[in-house]
Amino acid sequence: MTTANASEGSATAARVLVSVRNVTMIYGGGTVALKDANLDIGQGEFVSLIGPSGCGKTTLLRLLADLIEPSSGSISIGGKSPAEARRDRAYGYVFQAPTLMEWRTVLANVLLPLEVMGFPREERQRRAEAMLALVGLEKFADKYPWQLSGGMQQRVSIARALSFDPQLLYMDEPFGALDEITRENLNLELLRLWRETGKTVIFVTHSIPEAVFLSTRIVVMTPRPGKIETVIPVDLPQPRDFETRETARFFEIATEVREALRKGHGYEVEV
Amino acid sequence: MSRFDPEARRMSLADNEVTRWLLFGLVFMTAWEVAATAYDAPFLLPGPSRIFAEFVRAPGLIMINAWITTQEIVLGFLIGSALAMLAALVLLVVPRWLEDFIFRAVITLNSIPFVALASLVVVWLGANTIASKVAIAGLYAFFALVYFAHKEMLSTDPLKEELLTSYNADFGQRVRYLKLPSALPVIFTSLKGAAMAAVNGAIVGELFGAFQGLGFMILDSRYVGNTARVFVAAVLCTLVGWIMLGILAVLERRFVGWHLEMTRQT
Ligand SMILES: Nc1ncnc2c1ncn2[C@@H]1O[C@H](COP(=O)(O)OP(=O)(O)O)[C@@H](O)[C@H]1O
Ligand SMILES: [Mg+2]
Repeated sequence: MTTANASEGSATAARVLVSVRNVTMIYGGGTVALKDANLDIGQGEFVSLIGPSGCGKTTLLRLLADLIEPSSGSISIGGKSPAEARRDRAYGYVFQAPTLMEWRTVLANVLLPLEVMGFPREERQRRAEAMLALVGLEKFADKYPWQLSGGMQQRVSIARALSFDPQLLYMDEPFGALDEITRENLNLELLRLWRETGKTVIFVTHSIPEAVFLSTRIVVMTPRPGKIETVIPVDLPQPRDFETRETARFFEIATEVREALRKGHGYEVEV
Repeated sequence: MSRFDPEARRMSLADNEVTRWLLFGLVFMTAWEVAATAYDAPFLLPGPSRIFAEFVRAPGLIMINAWITTQEIVLGFLIGSALAMLAALVLLVVPRWLEDFIFRAVITLNSIPFVALASLVVVWLGANTIASKVAIAGLYAFFALVYFAHKEMLSTDPLKEELLTSYNADFGQRVRYLKLPSALPVIFTSLKGAAMAAVNGAIVGELFGAFQGLGFMILDSRYVGNTARVFVAAVLCTLVGWIMLGILAVLERRFVGWHLEMTRQT
């Protein structure tokens, strides 16, 4: 099961929320960014996509978000097309860069999606304040983004993505630019958020420990063409904390992921 | 990390700026007066005292002319800037080929010497009313703003655009929440240029055809050899420009204070 083909790596949770069927993405220049991808993600799962640069991780997220359309294959999100899901505000997207509006205060940045989506004024305020508290930034509500550290900016961006209560959270290497200690703290915080909110998270990373620590399943991808190689379930008990990283099981799973990545690399060389 | 307090900043900046300008003005005027006295050719280079005396000789008449020119400048600036913003926005929604076509038209128009354009406008709209001068000042202001406003609203951060796509934002919301606010710092810088351009436009318009206004006064006074009055007109034009720049600077601090603060800090 641990090295099962992606199509067999079905969701362990009760209800399938995201379903990717034979999806291929070929960009204008002819780059095959994703080839025949199959993946099911259950409601409430925390799934990481891991793989070297250029293996199509961002492409897969952007397909799920309806920011681009697949060349072939189909995607269903809660039984709807990605375009319908986007219109229904089904997901919050956290980019690799915080992508905050420099002219808005921290609070106003969290308010942005609520304003665009037409939430009533009082509810907007209430939600934005609650989200800032959730990421521990209520004291910085009146600051401007450029007055915060990179880690704090990324927390604002997470609060913003959660503010309108989407079912799904897409995160594209959100902690890639941060130092190791900040990253580990934010990992812990993200796990707590995930448990408290019950969101389904799809998380892109190229850090093996990060993927093992956070995920319920890890999707290993390989480049040229981007393929889903292996899906590895992570059976580490919840709630996880810093000690989880020192258990034997953690290292076993990390080794498994590393070998899957290496195998993917070998596959590429053979072809 | 300094606290961002636009109120306090505005005060301290204003104090500083005003003091510096006063000091500069004092030194400049003294030097001018001394030079003019030493040169002793008031027909060529009257000193500040002589220019002021000339103003006092006919303050009412001069102020009527100044008022007419001020109207031309302000109206031209407002109309030209508003049309430039509108054009910049329209250019964002029209099809690619049309945008390209319009932009070529704008560039072509922009490369015609403005003086030639101005003389034509006077022919079309007549010299009697301020309309022709408003039109010329407006043209100057329009071209000073339209290119940069359009470019800034077009070249927004693609990730921010995608963020708004993920919110399913419509075009109006994109303008309101992203394009306009991110372009505003550059728009303000261009508006200052547009204000200066409107001053030039109004004067050029009056030189080509007017019976009132500071430009007319310049022509008329030069004709009768009253150099001091030419200087009075020039000084008043400069003052009108400065007042407009001052108002724009206050608005800039009010609306893009974040940007001034951010560039100071990073
Ligand atoms: N907009 C695009 N146009 C053309 N090629 C692209 C585009 N975006 C990504 N690619 C290519 O597709 C492949 C996968 O990219 P991406 O999904 O960004 O990979 P990852 O996120 O795993 O690093 C890469 O080879 C990349 O160069
Ligand atoms: Mg990527």
